[in-house]
Order: sequence, then structure tokens, then C-alpha cells
Amino acid sequence: MKCTFVPSVCSYCGTGCGLLFETIDGRINSTIPMKTHPVSQGKLCIKGWNLHEHINSPMRLKQPMVKTFGRFINASWEEAIQITADRFKEIIVEHGPDSVGVLVSAKMSNEENYLAQKLARAVFGTNNVDHCARL
Amino acid sequence: MTNSIHGIEKSNCIFVIGSNTTANHPLISRRIMRAKEKGARLIVADPRGIQLSRFADVAIRHRLGSDTALLNGMMHIIIENGWQSSAYIRERTEGYEEFAASVKMATPEFTADATGVDVEDLYQMARLYGTSKAASLLYAMGITQHTTGVDNVKSCCNLAMLCGNVGIPGGGVNPLRGQNNVQGACDMGGLPNVFTGYQPVADEKMREKFSKAWNCTLSNIPGQTITDMIPAILDGKLKALYVIGENPKLSDPDWNHLNRALKELKFLVVQDLFLSETAQVADVVFAASSLAEKEGTFTNTERRCMKFEQAVEPLANTLPDWKILSQLSTAMGYPMHYANPSEIFDELAALTPSYGGMSYARLGLDGLQWPCPDAAHPGTVYMHKESFSRGKGKFHAISYQPPAEKPDETYPYFLTTGRMFAHFHTGTMTRTSPHLDIEQRDGYVEINPEDAAALQVKEGDMLTIISRRGELDVPARLTSVVNPGTLFLPIHFGESAANILTSSEAFDPLAKIPEYKVSAVNVYKSKPPPERV
Amino acid sequence: MKKKVKKWLEDGSVDVFLGYKMVHGHPLPHCFTLEDVAEVDELIVSEARYSLEKIATHLTRQDPKIKIGLLARDCNQRAINILSVWHQLDLEKIKTLNVNCCPSNLKAHPDCSYMTVETPGAYKQQVGIDNTIDTETADAFSKEAKTIRWMYEFQKCIKCYGCRNICPVCFCTECSLEHKDLIGPGNLPPQVPIFHLVRAAHMAGRCIDCGLCEDACPMDIPLRLLYRKVNRIVKDVFDYDTGESSEQSPFSLIGDSVKLTLKPM
Repeated sequence: MKCTFVPSVCSYCGTGCGLLFETIDGRINSTIPMKTHPVSQGKLCIKGWNLHEHINSPMRLKQPMVKTFGRFINASWEEAIQITADRFKEIIVEHGPDSVGVLVSAKMSNEENYLAQKLARAVFGTNNVDHCARL
Repeated sequence: MTNSIHGIEKSNCIFVIGSNTTANHPLISRRIMRAKEKGARLIVADPRGIQLSRFADVAIRHRLGSDTALLNGMMHIIIENGWQSSAYIRERTEGYEEFAASVKMATPEFTADATGVDVEDLYQMARLYGTSKAASLLYAMGITQHTTGVDNVKSCCNLAMLCGNVGIPGGGVNPLRGQNNVQGACDMGGLPNVFTGYQPVADEKMREKFSKAWNCTLSNIPGQTITDMIPAILDGKLKALYVIGENPKLSDPDWNHLNRALKELKFLVVQDLFLSETAQVADVVFAASSLAEKEGTFTNTERRCMKFEQAVEPLANTLPDWKILSQLSTAMGYPMHYANPSEIFDELAALTPSYGGMSYARLGLDGLQWPCPDAAHPGTVYMHKESFSRGKGKFHAISYQPPAEKPDETYPYFLTTGRMFAHFHTGTMTRTSPHLDIEQRDGYVEINPEDAAALQVKEGDMLTIISRRGELDVPARLTSVVNPGTLFLPIHFGESAANILTSSEAFDPLAKIPEYKVSAVNVYKSKPPPERV
Repeated sequence: MKKKVKKWLEDGSVDVFLGYKMVHGHPLPHCFTLEDVAEVDELIVSEARYSLEKIATHLTRQDPKIKIGLLARDCNQRAINILSVWHQLDLEKIKTLNVNCCPSNLKAHPDCSYMTVETPGAYKQQVGIDNTIDTETADAFSKEAKTIRWMYEFQKCIKCYGCRNICPVCFCTECSLEHKDLIGPGNLPPQVPIFHLVRAAHMAGRCIDCGLCEDACPMDIPLRLLYRKVNRIVKDVFDYDTGESSEQSPFSLIGDSVKLTLKPM
């Protein structure tokens, strides 16, 4: 049996509480507050304590999907990525780079936000980048 | 936050305005209560009677949207009584004279009239904040989600500078950010006008730097904000949208307006953990891995960049966001091949002065607070110690503007929106958590028992709420947390989506933030559904 | 200590060993195994306390045959005892490595040394309950003062359920705190004082006074004192020593009329 305690940071509000994911055989069993964390000092709120539940939810998406004739069809990553890249390229050629917008996410990591705006600016060629800071 | 979360405990006076901290930033409310228990004074200004109000030395319920009037009124009293910090104003700020002249008009009588707050309470608030050295001001969306959002924030800064509270431990102007990495998303250039670290896209030098690093040409035209993108879609200017980890169908103002816009799009891609309301109408859905299935960093509200580790393998055929983005970029003809997030972090740290001294090795489990410009820098616990980023702190003369909508004959009630403690934002994550779902299964609207009595409504009865934009049915929760004439609707529940009622036209002209906190509505008891025979 | 753990893992007397390991200056719980036996060199006794025995119940639930070793202070020992009495752990499959606790600055139990006790602030002392006082001092308040002071503490509650979640001896599948007929959901603070009194009632004959609940409470509510008081009553009325006795408490809420079931082993 493999059991681990993996340090993480709560992904709900902006406080940034420290926690541990208790995993048993590759599945998260519970969320435990990190006792010595500088921000949260071993305490969590109701959302933090249950952080693993949304991760374990059976409602999670499990593969990419492409809408065909109004219905979602499961796709491979290669297909989904290629279809998306082709559509974006077409639209950029036809309407210019500023016809595309990217909404990055306050839920993604710094690294991922960096890549998302790099994608918009360097690849799409637009500064139409925003996220839900206002909402 | 200019200061740090633990620094709140060092404060002698805490002024909370527009933040229901115990519900929305519970572990920050811990620090507030600890400061209070050590003897700090607590002032709470919120249109609702929130949990923190019970412990406040002064708790007021000012009229929705009257924040600048309230703050100006407080500053008027502070100046009248000579409680301002003259040496600080002289040495560290500018624009004081013009500002002071503008505040002169905000007499206690005028303020009481505009805010509905008792003159004596105003005086006590001003006295407590004005005479306690090291006073900390905390605010959240109650300050910013207004047509006067920027003015409100500037007024908070005016107040803090007036009393010399910026740049000292235990002081500061401290916005509490609502999403775990909203600070990071801003820092990383997730905004239309700046690259990472707030380096403007319109600045030739910055463009050159990024252009060289990324080996491409870059547009010098600042892009559109989310609030501008929706009308741009309807005008036919924006054709495709790539939405990552957001659910604008519930979070954006004016549901009807947005729905029409999304239909107009030629191409919509949504990347999410769940088939959110927005993902349902997408052309392509990318299934992303969750927080526990990847590593990376988040930057919290006190600018602390913290590492999170991978706990389990990605679920089924999902991919971490950084892999999806890299693959898409590569497919678009711009190869991105990163071995791991650490490589991406090193690239962004090299381009972002405030993150310049950070690396995975240095972050550890405690993280580092930016600015952290070089590898020897210990990080910054509180900002603006010697001087402000722009040199001198600037006072802004702000005059009170009422909200865009006020109750009238047709729409006689105020409606305000927000979060409740057991759920988060659009509920995509929390409503799929069994323990959070038990705590609050369905949407509700808070209504004062007086209003409920007038409408002959009991707890749990269905109410129909109508605004100029739309209408919805939602069960009533009777509580004196809201004043008579005011309703509160949580934003988490798709079946009673607050943005059916809120406006897409009322937003701050500068920040483009929608006025979620104030709408005019009417309410009546829903007609029971026709009985089935 | 390390030698012993290695030996246990190697000779199969335990399948896993729960202890602590330092990660970037933070003592974190760690599950040591035979596969990574070299890691045992990093085993430490942590100043921060995690409920290792609760984790042991999680492992047992996955695999009832698993043999678990763990570092145990006196409070862990008492918890293990309770968990065994209530059939959540099988003592034959648990091996403890006893850790000496330094003298505590808390009274009554000189064994929870590492919980640093800070003097509560002046305002809390004035209107609330000082977390460091004993049950006698708390009893000495007048009836009115008692009510006001405890109500002050309960009103701070942000309903995180941390006291229950961290509790090593809380294992019911259905929890009364989430029973909407007992406590109305969706409100902050949760019904004062029902929420805390319901939990206190459930702690009678159960609480082993480890103090983890108070440690986990974001609002510094003196939970430990409250549950200690309840257990004092159990001792006075039934002469039952919670955590020491080898039988189930005579004062059990788990009966026919209550819809609560024990988690299956």
C-alpha cells in the first residue's frame, strides 16, 4: 500500500492556505491542513477541508470533446488540438488576430497563465487577454 | 495587499469595508479576530449585517453604493479634528490640497444623508481609524464591483495615506482577492494592456524585450477586457474565444446579453475540469487536470508565490493546462516544448522583475512575497516602506457618484449579490463536493422579515425577482442580515443565476468591472404552479 | 528509533510505518515502507502533531489486513485505545513506537507538550474564555458570565468543521452536525450554541483530550476545555476514564433511536 502526504495550496479563495493531500494508492483520500504553514497555521475553512472532493468528483471531464452536428463527440487530444489550431488559424487569416480573445484563469498556475498570455500574444498576435479579476 | 496576512495581527485598528471576511476569506478573518482579541479596534462597514459586525467597535450598514460618500465623510471628520498625519502627507504624498478641498464638502450631514449612517457612528469610525496608529484597511468586491469601483479604491487609498498608514507594519490598503491565483493571473500578464509584472504592451522597450525573448513580433494595441469582449462579439469584431477555467455564463454580468453573444461566436473553446454552463455551448472542450494532478505555483492575495506539488496522476485522459497550451501552440506553428513547469517558471522569472529572484528551489513550502528582484532578496512583507512605486503617493479628489440604478416605483428594491461560506463563485467546484452540497443545496435570496411580512412570504416560499434585464424564481430566506428594501442573492447557483438580473451596461469606466453589488429590482411571491389534475 | 522501524519493516512486523519527515523545513507526516527503507533515516519526531492514528484508520479501511506501525505520544495512545474499543482499529495490527512527551505548560495532561500555549489577548480575557484555564476556573464564573462568555466564543465559529474533521476519534459515517433537523445548514455562525453543544455531547466518553480540535480551530474557540468539562461529567457520573478504560463508554449516543451507524471495519 502506498500512502503519501503531498503539500499543496488551496485553490478556492485568494488567501492561499497550505494543505496536504492524503493519498492512498493513487487516490486522494482527504485534505489535511498543513500545521506549520505561514498563512493558515494548520487551519482551513469548510471549502479547504473538502478540496479533494471536487477533484474526486464523478462529474469531472475525462477526455476532450468536439461538437459535431450539435452533439459532443469524444476526441483524442491530437484531433481536438488540431481542429482547434486549424479553426483559430482560419479565423485569424480571415478576420485578423484581434478577432480572437483569450480568457485566462485565476484558477490556473502562474506558469499556465504565463503560457496562455504568451499563446495569445506571440502565437495569435493579439492582446485580447483578460480573466475574471473583475468578476 | 500592500501588507501581509500575518501583519493584520499587528494592527491597532482594522477597518473592514465591503468584505464578508468570515464567509469569503475565513482564514483572514481569523487574523482580524485575533487582532481584535489582542485589543485592536474593529470597524465594519457593510450594507449587510455580517458575522464580523457582531464583534465590531463600530458596525454600520451604509446604503448600497455609497462607499465614496462614506469614506469622504470619514476623511472630512478626520481633517476637521486634525487627526491626519501631517508629516507623512508632507513628506510622502502629493495632491493633498486639492483633495482636502474636495473633502470639505462631505460634511457629516451630507454624508449621513447619502449613506444612511448616523452622524455619531460616522464620528466614531473616523475617530477610531484616525487616532489609531497602524490601522489596516481591508476590502473586497464590496468596494470594487461598482460603477465607481476605481473611485472607491482611490478613496480607500486616500484614507490610508491621510493617516500615514501605507508603508508601515500593521497598516496598509489590503484588497482581499477572491480567487486563489487572481493575483498570479494579473502578475503573469493575464490582462489586455500589460505583459508579466505589469510591463505595458504599449511600451516600445517592453515589446522589444518580450519580442526578443519569444522570437516574434508583438502587437502594440492594448486588447479588450472581458467586459468589452462581449459587445465586440455582438458587433462582429470578435469571432473566436478561448475560455480557460472560467464560467462566464454565470460570472459575467447580464446572462441574456452574454448568451446572445456566445451564439454569435464562430468558434468557442472551453478548457475546464467540468462541463460548466459555458462548456456546454462550446465547439471544443479541453478536459483539464486538477490542481492535485500537476505541479506549479499560485500567488496569493499577499503576493506570496507558493509551490504546489503533484499528488496523483491526471484523471483519465485529461492533461494539465500547461501541456494543453503547449500542444496547441505547437500545432499553431509556434513550438513550445517544456519538460516541466519549473522550466516555464524560470522563463517567466527572467522576464518579470518582481519574480526575478524566485526559483522552485528557493520557494520551498513557505513561498516568497514579491517584489523579489534577485536571488539574494528575501521577498517583501509590506510594500511602499520608503516610497511609493511612483515616488510620492497621490491623493485623488473624488466626489460621490450614486450607483447606476436606484430603486424607483417600478423596481423599488435594492438587489446585491455575493458569495456564501460553503460555496465558491459559480459553484462548478463546490456544488460537486458532497460535504459542501449538504451545507447549501439550493439557491436562495435573503429578504428582511419586514418585507417578507408585507409580501406574505414565509421561509422557503418562492419569490419572483424582476429587474430591467430579466427575472428568476428563488426560495426566500428570511433574515435581518439584510435591511428592509434590500435583497441579497448568492451567485453560486445556476438555476437562480444572479446575472439574469444584473446589468452589463453598468460598469466602472476605467476598470470595466460590472456593478454586481447594486441593481434595482422588484419582488413578489411566485404564483404556485398550476395543480395537476 | 530508526533502527527499530527498519527492523519492523524488514521482518514484516509492520507493512507501513507512520511517522514524520522534514520537507523544506516543515515536519510533514510520512508513510515509511519497505520499498523505500532507506528513507527511514529521515524519520523524525515532529513538534507539529498530526493525527497519525486517524490516518491508520483510513489505511485499515482500504485494507483490513494491513499491519501499521506509528509514532505515538500519550494522546495518540489514548486515541488508539478508543478506536480499538469502537472497532475502528485492531490492536493486534497496530504497533506503536512510544515517544516521550516533555512536560507541558498545560495542566492536567502533561503530555501534549508541543502545543504551544499563548496567553489570550486582553479583550478575549475580558469577554470570552481564556483557552488556558482549567475546568474549575471556568466553572467559577457566574451563570450570566458563563453564558455571555461561551456565547461570545461560539459566535465566532465559521463552521469549518475542522474540530470534527481533525478529531482522531470522530469516525461516524453520518454526522449529527450535518443533520438538518438538529442544525440548520447554510448559516454563519452555525446555530449558537446548538452546534457546539451537539458536538460536545458526542465527545462525552469519546474525547481523549489531545487538543487537535483547538489547534485546528481558526477562531481559537476553547474546545478542549469544553470537551474536558463534558468528560469530567462522564467521570463523575459513570466513573469512566475516557481513553484509559478498555470498554465502550456507558454514555453512548449511538443507539436504536438515532440514525447513526458505525463505519464498517
